[in-house]
Amino acid sequence: MNRWLPRRYDPRVPGGPILVVDDDPNILDVVAELLDMEGYPVTTASNGAEALAKLEETTPSLVLLDMRMPVLDGWGFAREVKARGIELPILVMTAAQNARLWAEEIGAQGYVAKPFEVPALLDAVERLRTN
Amino acid sequence: MVDGAGLTADQFLSFLTQAAFFLVFLLTGWSALRRPRRAAINTALFFGVIAAVVLWQWLSGVLHLAPNRIASTIVGALFFTLPYLMLRLVDDFAYVPRWIKRAAEAGLALSAGALVALNSWETADPRRVAPTVVLIVYFVVLIAYSGVRFVMEAAQTTGVTQRRMQAVAVGSILLALLLFLALPQLFVPSLAPVLSIVNRLCGLASGLAFFLGFAPPPILRRAWQEPELRAFLGRAASLPRLATTDEIVAEIERGAAAALGTPHASVGLWDRERDVLRYRAPGGDILEAPSDRYVPGRAFTTQRPIYCDDAMRDDPENAEEYRRNGARAVLSAPITAGAEQLGVLTAYSPRPPIFADDDLVLLRLLADQAAVILESRRLIDDAARVRAQEEATRLRDDFLSSAAHDLKTPLTTLLAQAQLLERKAARDPEAPADLSGIRRLVGETRRLNGLVLELLDASRAEHGRILASLEPLDLAEVAHVVCGRVTTERHPCRAETAGTVEGQFDRTRIEQVLNNLLENAIKYSPEGGAIVVRVWAEGERAHLTVADKGIGILPEDQPFVFERFHRGRNVDDRQFAGMGLGLYICRAIVEAHGGVIRVSSESGAGTTFHVELPLEPPVTVRQHEPLAAASV
Repeated sequence: MNRWLPRRYDPRVPGGPILVVDDDPNILDVVAELLDMEGYPVTTASNGAEALAKLEETTPSLVLLDMRMPVLDGWGFAREVKARGIELPILVMTAAQNARLWAEEIGAQGYVAKPFEVPALLDAVERLRTN
Repeated sequence: MVDGAGLTADQFLSFLTQAAFFLVFLLTGWSALRRPRRAAINTALFFGVIAAVVLWQWLSGVLHLAPNRIASTIVGALFFTLPYLMLRLVDDFAYVPRWIKRAAEAGLALSAGALVALNSWETADPRRVAPTVVLIVYFVVLIAYSGVRFVMEAAQTTGVTQRRMQAVAVGSILLALLLFLALPQLFVPSLAPVLSIVNRLCGLASGLAFFLGFAPPPILRRAWQEPELRAFLGRAASLPRLATTDEIVAEIERGAAAALGTPHASVGLWDRERDVLRYRAPGGDILEAPSDRYVPGRAFTTQRPIYCDDAMRDDPENAEEYRRNGARAVLSAPITAGAEQLGVLTAYSPRPPIFADDDLVLLRLLADQAAVILESRRLIDDAARVRAQEEATRLRDDFLSSAAHDLKTPLTTLLAQAQLLERKAARDPEAPADLSGIRRLVGETRRLNGLVLELLDASRAEHGRILASLEPLDLAEVAHVVCGRVTTERHPCRAETAGTVEGQFDRTRIEQVLNNLLENAIKYSPEGGAIVVRVWAEGERAHLTVADKGIGILPEDQPFVFERFHRGRNVDDRQFAGMGLGLYICRAIVEAHGGVIRVSSESGAGTTFHVELPLEPPVTVRQHEPLAAASV
């Protein structure tokens, strides 16, 4: 089977959409489009506060989280999620050198360092969603 | 009974006095033998005469010698050389006018004549009165004069020297008083018993005073030295914290001069690499001399303290310089901390110090203290240098990681977008090209390029090499051109100028400043709004302002807007992309032109940037402060 074949979104797959949080609009668009093309339901937010607002509407199956953001950063978002008692798998996406450390700090399930390879991102997404 | 008791007391006092003077003679004689200097020899001579007289009296008393006219003439003649010898002593320590010296010599001759006359007449001869009065007056006047001179000298000195001078002055004045008291006895013989006691007391006190003045025991010297040393040490403790080594050196020099009571003390610091001693000349100039030149150079090279009572004689090569600086006597001690040779401490004075040995001991102590101070200073300097290096490294690392982070953002988009396009094409080769994706690639590549250029400019600014060449330029014209380039319906840009504003500027960089300020104004006016550029000249300076009605800058951010990577707290990064280097580069360009850039703003009510540039830049155009220096 060709590994580039699309995996169509199956509405019967349990779990909510993937929430992509990044303050750079270009990255946000590209990642959302990519996930959408791979068949995942996607919703976006451009900072931690917007992401928290999204949690009111839906329960995402995974959060792709940038760390340095205005208004409310990745740490603030993770803290608030924990405070609300929500169980959410988080995948940290950051351009910082200590991506791994930051991911551990906020209790995230995984991390990808920017700039990332698309297959690596998709692998991580798939792994965390099926867990 | 009473008489007998008085006599015993009298004899006892007499014995003590004689012993005191004899002791002083022995000590000064020993000192003169060890270091045969003029002052030491004259001192020993003076007390030698006294000792001879004392010895003669004692011997004749003990051996019950019959009064011998010749012997008493000789002893008397010796005794009356005392005022003259005392004057010589004064001359060693202070300046004695020539006529007084001549008068003293004349007095010496006269007193010899008077003595011969006296001894040729019978004891009861009334003719004896006149020569006796002459002798006493000669003696009293000269000794009293010397005493007064010692008092005056003492007032000009400090520490041990002052105390010793005071003691010598007291001794001289008491000696003068002793002789002076002989006058009333001459005319009123009944006063003799009373005055005799006073006489003996004066003699004893004089002897003790001379002992303290000319041969003080070491314990007394140290006690007298202590206040000076303590004052110096008290100040020394805070010295290493002074801003510059020059200030520390100046303080050490002041302190040493005060402690030693010399007019001038100087520190020569050794420059190891060039092997020179650097002195601060009185005018503030720096004088460099080979490390073995001058008396201080000798002290430094031999690493031993040196006392030189006549530098012009001992170092004839540089005699002219010593003479010009009024430095005759030179005391010099190496400043050395352990094995670390730091320099040399030197005290200069126009006359040889009275008690050079004491001064040399004190100078050594001061030099040792100076070594501690300078060495601590060096350690503090070293530590500061290491800290500054670490700080510079840290800032460089911060800069690199900030820059890397900012560059990675467009790179992330580029890589993801390119791979997305690749996937799409692989999946459906027939599908139409994803134009918006391709445009995003182009846009992000441009953005990346812009960031790289910004970084390069920031790096140039850091090294003060941001300007290319200055050319005649009309700022009013630049304002119109750049304004026209950026104006849009949403952000109309208006240039308000009154005539030309011509000066010498780097065209590209000035356009960049205006462009950055305008982009900034547009960026931070998300609601739209007019932007006004004003250009005018005032005297020799050009003024340029860029005013917007945007979100403004919070007061707490205003001091930092020109710092690298600084973003306002009311700035939303998503809306306002950029590295935060724009205003930093603007400031660097303006300052490189010798100008200043300021900002005034009210949050929510807009921002005005004000650039002020000299029309003709200063001869040496000021360079932007390098990063490392600015951060220390």
